[in-house]
Amino acid sequence: MGRSYFVDEAVGEYLSGLQAAPGSCVTGLLAGQSSPQRDFVVLAVQTPHRESEGQLKAPKGVSPLDDIDVEWVTEHAKQVSRMLPGGLCVLGLFLVTPPELSKDAQNGLKRLIFAVEKYIIKGRLWELSEEDVTDRVTLHICSKTKKLLCKTFDVKDPKSSAKPADWKYQTGISSSWPMLTCSVEVDLQIPVTGSSSDNTDKCMKDGLRRWAKQIEAAYCLINGRQALDDSELISGQKKNPKTTNRQTLPARIFVSDEQSELGERSSALVQVCSGSMRVRGVVHCRAYIHNNKPKARHAAQAIKRDIINTVCSRVEMFLEDLCINEGSQKGLCSGQQALPRRVFAPMPISGLSVCDYMFPDESTADVAERLKEMLDCETPEEDIDTSLENNQLFSIISGFEITDSQDDDSSKHVSEIQAENHKIQKPPKYYAGVALAAAIALLATATSLLYFS
Amino acid sequence: MVYSEECDFIFRLKGILEFACQLDNPNGVQSQSTISKSFQDLRSKVTSKNIVFTVCNSPVLIWPNTGFQSSVESLTEASACGDILQWIESDDGGSKKSSKKKDKKKSGPTVVNMKLLFEVTEPAGNTAPSLIRVSTQQHCVKMPLPLDCALSVTTDERLETVCTGLVEALNKQLADMEEVVLQYRKGSSFLVPQPFHFQLPEPAGLITVVYPAGVPDSQLQAVREDLHRKFELPCDRPYLRRANAFHFPDAAYKDGYLRNPHIHLNPPNIEDAKLYLVQGVYSYHHYMQDHVDDNGWGCAYRSLQTICSWFQQQGYVETAVPTHTQIQQALVDVGDKEPRFVGSRQWIGSIEVQAVLNQLLGVTSKIMFVSQGSELATKGRELANHFQTEGTPVMIGGGVLAHTILGVVWSENTGQIRFLILDPHYTGGEDLQTITDKGWCGWKGPEFWDQNAYYNLCLPQRPKTI
Repeated sequence: MGRSYFVDEAVGEYLSGLQAAPGSCVTGLLAGQSSPQRDFVVLAVQTPHRESEGQLKAPKGVSPLDDIDVEWVTEHAKQVSRMLPGGLCVLGLFLVTPPELSKDAQNGLKRLIFAVEKYIIKGRLWELSEEDVTDRVTLHICSKTKKLLCKTFDVKDPKSSAKPADWKYQTGISSSWPMLTCSVEVDLQIPVTGSSSDNTDKCMKDGLRRWAKQIEAAYCLINGRQALDDSELISGQKKNPKTTNRQTLPARIFVSDEQSELGERSSALVQVCSGSMRVRGVVHCRAYIHNNKPKARHAAQAIKRDIINTVCSRVEMFLEDLCINEGSQKGLCSGQQALPRRVFAPMPISGLSVCDYMFPDESTADVAERLKEMLDCETPEEDIDTSLENNQLFSIISGFEITDSQDDDSSKHVSEIQAENHKIQKPPKYYAGVALAAAIALLATATSLLYFS
Repeated sequence: MVYSEECDFIFRLKGILEFACQLDNPNGVQSQSTISKSFQDLRSKVTSKNIVFTVCNSPVLIWPNTGFQSSVESLTEASACGDILQWIESDDGGSKKSSKKKDKKKSGPTVVNMKLLFEVTEPAGNTAPSLIRVSTQQHCVKMPLPLDCALSVTTDERLETVCTGLVEALNKQLADMEEVVLQYRKGSSFLVPQPFHFQLPEPAGLITVVYPAGVPDSQLQAVREDLHRKFELPCDRPYLRRANAFHFPDAAYKDGYLRNPHIHLNPPNIEDAKLYLVQGVYSYHHYMQDHVDDNGWGCAYRSLQTICSWFQQQGYVETAVPTHTQIQQALVDVGDKEPRFVGSRQWIGSIEVQAVLNQLLGVTSKIMFVSQGSELATKGRELANHFQTEGTPVMIGGGVLAHTILGVVWSENTGQIRFLILDPHYTGGEDLQTITDKGWCGWKGPEFWDQNAYYNLCLPQRPKTI
């Protein structure tokens, strides 16, 4: 039986265009969407070249397959999955090998696919449901004959063996996939117990997890209709896969404060905290759903997962960054700092979009560079849409000051700045933005040098 | 259960709002204003554009604070609230029909259940998130507030008015909750404020009172006294204890006992006679329940259990209905029986019932002695008075049987009388149809009694308390 992978022709072109040095292997990711009946692949990206820090690993001896940097491949997979909007995920891997290594390729692929899956789901705030497809595809390409061998592994079962799968090319697979969008207001108050930075991380994780459960359980309207049952997402639409008309479906999310662990209490939960953290602002979310009779609740699930992922990703990125900057001081500081904001860019090939996160001191040039490195595609800077989430102007100034601002003061501060933001509704002009960013980056570097010296 | 004549619907809105605040010093002067501010924030949340009511089991969503918008086009501000019924999927269309066979009376108002939700999409601004960190030592308080508002309305009331009314009710409930939280707070120990609904005599109607969780009714006497004064309620019977809380018609009783099976019966049509019935709610206790095989000996025990259930559900006692063993132990404790009585299958009579009611519930009872069964027909006036003033179920024992009398139809002029009997000798399951069809709860004439046997009746008296 096996699964069927419907693959955009442009992906095929990308794969045939890959150059492998003679005798060596090329690894890469395949991304798209799975549905119970079939799977769609809309993106292929080779693993970027890792700049090794001068240390030359002596070849392990037996074959170039053993030289595959598993850690780097999984890191790349994680970075790429952060860049994919809802509904899309890393579906599998491809491996280009010379003919003599073809036999051993399967083992290599199996090791890699399990490692990738394990790494990607670490830190994720939602669980796969029973309906989620857990098969991942491995594609082996012989560098000489260009022959493709497509198999799947069930990543839920470490003992599973490879199952055959179909690999079919089609044009414009995702050209008429509807896009769900929404902007979600987030305001999470998270108490911090204990004072080490590990505590801070754990408290943040727990707080986010509770919020994620609220979102997962939330009521959802898509395009004005309830989205909880098996009814079709778009009923009564003429199905014409050749149209390039992509529908945008607004989603609305409604939560209740129901928290099961606080359920039947007769008194309040009181914790002595060494402080608190608050994540506050608006996130812009997107999800795509295939157009092969999609069900409303799968669409709801896709956009909800995107909401959860985007908040989780940027908090993770911020804390990783903080670790580097503040080190062990992390748990003890006060202040208000901007989390990286989400920007969107057109995806290579398919007409869908990908996203990235821009720190306050970065510019679209940085984003373009990352897109080139992670997704192996050139994106003109003017195509990068930074208008969906507004810049938190205040934080660029106060971000590097460690102040003891009381909660009241900082929220007053925020509301003042937000009032300013509302006046500046139009996105800042690109060039002015770059100049400003550059000036601030300079100021920031100067400040941080002063501060940390 | 007395329903207001005009009320066709009860709209009930439930939801949980999390109360959270940070206190620097729980015992300090500032803490009260911090708590009040948090409640103020919650009240703003409830009057904001983001709140949404969803009607359970339906696709209807209503935004009450945006000039009334609903997710269903045909429901607009001008819609009558009865229009909402066509959108609600009921889960048990079938079972309602069978119980209506004998019941020609109105079955009470329809309950429309709604849930409180908050929209997190369509935000006012667009600023990307930031992280605000505060590092002062604080007490973080979190408490789920179980909001529960109910409005009684007539069919033609506009839906918009209902929703505005519910938003006002939410606001008021939050204010009441704030008062209760502040009053019962000790430092950083907060009691959850819980709302209870009570159906009071007109004109008050359906009201809601907030009580602190964990504080027993006995300690809330002063609160009830104030409310009795405010609503002009009689001061000798409970209306506002937690047990008196309004039982919504669509809610099942979790313990599985039938409540007031007699309301499904039509009283006999006797010329010139008046109806005198038990007041309030009791549970039907009978043979073989609770896995106790008391067939042949337990009838008086079961009648006693029915009486105890009445005192519990009217709010006079908080103790559970006693088991056969507990009843027997109580009689040993008062010295009426030897210790080996416990665990036996010995019968008890009205005197023992009176003793147990006194011992376990603190309830006094009057005993009425009738030397012949035929004389019971002449006790119409006494029984009518009893049901009018006390309104408690009556245990009657004589011959070899015990029964419960729930009411009489009695004519002062002709002396004609009928007795409403609840029979504890029933051994089947909690099947209302069988119980009413076969007369296990039914109206009987004077010939029902053994004309030659003597009878003792135990008439429990209501304690004069609120």
